[in-house]
Amino acid sequence: MKRYILSILAVVAMAMTVSTPSAQGADPYARTQLWSNQVAAQRPWHGNYYYLPYGQPTALIVPPTAHMRQTLSWGVSQNLMYPLNHQFGRNASSPGALAPGSFQATPHWPSHTDQFGVYYVRGPW
Amino acid sequence: MRINRFLFVTMVASSVFSPFARSTDVEPVDHIVSSNVVSDVIVSGDSYSGDMGSSDGGSCPAGSACAAGSACANGMCSNGMCSNGMCSNGLGQNGLGQNGLGQNGLGQNGIGGLRGTLGSYIGDLARCGHAGDMASCQPRTYGYPDLFYNYYTQGNCNSTNAQMYISPIPVPPNVGHTYITYQPFMAHEMLYQHKDRFHNYYDGGRGMNHTKVHYFAPPVRTAASNVYWNYLRLPR
Repeated sequence: MKRYILSILAVVAMAMTVSTPSAQGADPYARTQLWSNQVAAQRPWHGNYYYLPYGQPTALIVPPTAHMRQTLSWGVSQNLMYPLNHQFGRNASSPGALAPGSFQATPHWPSHTDQFGVYYVRGPW
Repeated sequence: MRINRFLFVTMVASSVFSPFARSTDVEPVDHIVSSNVVSDVIVSGDSYSGDMGSSDGGSCPAGSACAAGSACANGMCSNGMCSNGMCSNGLGQNGLGQNGLGQNGLGQNGIGGLRGTLGSYIGDLARCGHAGDMASCQPRTYGYPDLFYNYYTQGNCNSTNAQMYISPIPVPPNVGHTYITYQPFMAHEMLYQHKDRFHNYYDGGRGMNHTKVHYFAPPVRTAASNVYWNYLRLPR
């Protein structure tokens, strides 16, 4: 009987520890976060094409837990995946917005998804 | 505090928590920090509203030696050099017979006087400004929190930068701007399930306000919504 009660208690304790909801990402020491920050510091968040309705590259906010983006292009093996490095932050960095006309337009025959001028940027934590 | 994501979207859509202000009609309010400004860094001038440590005058110019005991003991010279070395450091206070240990060594010159001299931090409230108070008295203070605080793209290689609110692009100034004044209700918190804590230290670190938020999506309704939007809905 004692063994039975102990086993029930063990099962209950295990269930309590396992079923704790956790939304923490699988990055306990924030190494991926550090890599993303380092990479994002050396690359622009946009691809020099403007989004046609707004006349400038447009950031599409995705959750900060999003990892990868996919680009499509013509040709074989042009289905590429890149990590989502850029993330919104508190620093008001310069320059701000540029004048319309500073970026390339979407070609009449687009050959790449980056040419549409909408680029993913992760939201802040 | 458990927030339903869908309920929040509805609330945002109705913009209950987002007062609109038409910039053509309203004079600039001191408490609104400009959206391209980061206020938790050191600022130089008095361009920020909420910068309490900059100039609350007194009867003597900063850096000059004011009369011993007359004005400084009343706290009039708490700005600049006067409270830092000239007035309350031996001349004014000790001359009038105030206690030596509390005023000079610890209270005024060691901590308060130096911060009053710098005077350029947001929320720097160390000063002693009221006539009739002694130089070591701390006035009742309160914060000037930011009404709204934007987010920007980061990095060193950007030929242009985007601000996060209002998405996707900001509206012209004569249209107005949406301020979300309660940080737990900011829309980017609703993008994923998580828990978050919002802290506010006050009273020199002796008090802390703490708000814990669970951002939660009900699993059954989320699954049903996904089925509808990803499988059942006709794409158009």
